[in-house]
This record gives sequence, structure tokens and C-alpha cells, in this order.
Amino acid sequence: MSGLVGAPPAQQTVGISEMLVRSGGEDVLVTYSLGSCVGVAAYDPVARAGGLIHCMLPLSKIDAAKAAAAPAMFVDTGVPALLNALFEYGAERKRLVVKVAGASSLLDEKGLFKIGERNYTVLRKLLWKNNILIAAEDVGGQVARTMYLHMATGRTVIRSQGQERDL
Amino acid sequence: MSRRDEVLSRLRDVPAMPAAAMEAIRVLQDPRADAQAIMKALEHDPGLTANVLRLANSAYFGTPRKVSTVREAAVRLGTKRILRVVVACAAAPVVRRGIKGYDLPPGELWQHSASVAVGTDALAEVLKAALPASAFTAGLLHDVGKILLGTYLEVDAAAIIQLAVSEKIGFDEAERRVLGIDHAEAGAALLESWDLPEDVVQAARWHHRPDDAPGRLITLDLVHAADALSMAEGLGIGRDGLQYRPSKAVVLRLGLTTRVEELTLCRVLVALKELKDMYAAPGGR
Repeated sequence: MSGLVGAPPAQQTVGISEMLVRSGGEDVLVTYSLGSCVGVAAYDPVARAGGLIHCMLPLSKIDAAKAAAAPAMFVDTGVPALLNALFEYGAERKRLVVKVAGASSLLDEKGLFKIGERNYTVLRKLLWKNNILIAAEDVGGQVARTMYLHMATGRTVIRSQGQERDL
Repeated sequence: MSRRDEVLSRLRDVPAMPAAAMEAIRVLQDPRADAQAIMKALEHDPGLTANVLRLANSAYFGTPRKVSTVREAAVRLGTKRILRVVVACAAAPVVRRGIKGYDLPPGELWQHSASVAVGTDALAEVLKAALPASAFTAGLLHDVGKILLGTYLEVDAAAIIQLAVSEKIGFDEAERRVLGIDHAEAGAALLESWDLPEDVVQAARWHHRPDDAPGRLITLDLVHAADALSMAEGLGIGRDGLQYRPSKAVVLRLGLTTRVEELTLCRVLVALKELKDMYAAPGGR
């Protein structure tokens, strides 16, 4: 229980290539500047366990040393790490509500910089293999996004272009 | 007076960088110049000296013995690296402020500028190409036109992005249609008025449309590519978002592949952290 009634919940920032996992509490997890990166918010409403990750690149094979030091940098090492941490907090796969944001691109019809598209493809495949459906997503386009996960409720909010909306 | 003329008449409103920094940029640009001179200048500037020493003593270089003078730091880091610190420190007050019109909170343009500067370096390393002396400075200053437009002329980017999205054109092209000038040209005019090296001016001038530049310039190609990667990473993105069109010609000239792009991004993140750690101190954000 937080001490002060009506005190604003603490905001915990998840940096690029980082993740945070919480059990219970009133914190709001937030990650800024999702461009081509992907943000994944996962929440189990029964266990009240939730986590947020900000992955920069799709596949860890590009730099195994970095992947070992910072698994959250890559989708293929970060998202499994996120899921495992949640399971340790008592979350169950079938109850997990997973929401995704990011994977933007430049105005790039020629496909010169495909990082966003690759991040999203690898993420979808990985979740599918893990039998996890994406409950909601806000991906693609030419915008940067901020993603919030409210630990008290699992509410997920996207802020982009000066506007906020629930995901 | 046209909107374009109005923009160009306001160049003097933007405070220039300190003289010591301009000198550092000129030295950085010219490998034959006397680095001793800049070291001397540095020793008389306590703020810059502090930053240089902080970097030299940072965990990144992880040696147990602490250095206490700029000369010792120069031995440990190399003159080139020290000059970069000076340039980065000097540019910080210019690019660190928020830009209301472009929806950039304080620190965001700095974050983007720094990531493009270290991005040129990272790209050259991954490509095993020689890095032109002007690339770091050009990366750091390529977007200063946004300061002129967004702060001093209070241009509202919201209307411009609307046009860009509905017409599927780059944000810079929408700027040109609405204002008669884009932030790249405005920035180049500003850098020219500060008497910065021609390569730095040209890279800023054409960074969103390198195909239209009058000549080939490796600094420009590197800034264009590093800018694209930095935007992709979402670093310091304002209302204009990722609404820019990358150049295929640059991608081909540099030999960018998915692998090169991703390796570069890994390095940028590390190098950016090094710069940020240095700033997580008095005078930093």
C-alpha cells in the first residue's frame, strides 16, 4: 500500500535496450523515444505482475557479447528474458496481456533502413512460437512513441505527436 | 518581406558558440594545426578542462591512476578525442535548449545531435572507412536550423507535419513549401555566419537531400546516414518524427547493409552513453 492517499504513482523509466519487471505496486513504467525500436508491455492481471522492455534491434547474433551484457537490446534475447522474469513473479502465459508499440520507419519506400520492420517481424514470430497473442498494438508509420504501463491496473498508454491514447 | 527573408534576417539572434570552441573546431578540421595552442586555450577554460578530465578519468578508460591536467589527459585520450570533447561541450549550450515549435523538450536536440556525431564515427569504423575531420562537428551541428526556426521564429511544426503527411513528402520539403526555406538551409546559413568550415556548412545544408548537393562530400554522406539511423533509433525526435526520405545513392555509395546499420546502432548506443556520463555532472542536463 502506498502511504499517501492521492499521491501520484512513481514513474520508472526504461531506457533503450533495458527492461523493468514489477510485481504489484502503483508504479508507472515508461519508455521514451520508440522509433524503429519495439516496446513490449506484458501484464498478468491476476498475479499483478508486469513488465516493459525497449528492444533496439531484432537479432542478437549481430553482437553476441553485447547480447550477453544487455539482453534487452535485442528482441530475440530480450523478450524471452521479459517473459521468464514475469513467470518468476507468478505470471501465467495464458493470462498475459501483451501490447506492442514502435517499429516506425523513415519515408522509406525503397526499404533502405528496415530496422523497424525487422524488429516487428522477429517479435511477432517469437510471440507466436510462445503461444502469446498480441492484445493490442500501435506500430509503424513515421512517428516516435512513448509507452506507459500502469502497474496498478495494467493500463497501457501511448503518447505520440502530443496526444495520448489507451492501447 | 517573405518568410524566407525573415528567417535569414534573424541569424544574428542565435547566440554563437564560444570562441574557444570555434578554435577547437578549426584545429579538429586541420590535422596540421598546432594542437598545443588548443591545449593552452583549454587550460584557461575551467569548464572545458573539467569535462576533459572527467572523461579521461571515467570508468570508460578504466585506468587506476587519475590524471589531473589537460596535458596528461591528452596523452591518455589522444588529442583528437580531447578536441571532440571540447566541440561537444561547446555545442551543448547551443543545442541543449528545448525547441517549442518543433516539440523538442530541453536536451532532446542535444541527444539527437550527439548521436549523429558519434554515429558518423561508428559508421566509418564499421565500414572501415577513413573518417573525415569535419564529420563529428557536422553531425553535432547539422540541425541547428531548427533552433532558428523553432525558437526564434516560433514556427509551428504541427502545420508543416500535417502537410508532409497528407502529401507523403519529407518534412523538409513541407518546410520549403510553407516557409520558403527548410531547417537544413537555415542551419547552413547560421553556421556560415559563424564562419565554420565549408564542409560543416555543406553537410548541414544538404543533409536531407544529399542527391541535390552540388558536389560529392563524404562528410555529407556520413551525416545523412547517421541521421537516418539516429531517427530510426528514436533519439531526440520532435514533431517532425521520422518524416524524411533517405537517399538510395548514399546507401549505395557507403555500402550500407542491414548488418552495417545494426552494428553501427550498437556502437552508437555505447558511445552515446560515454558522452552522457560525461555530462551527468555540473553543466550537464
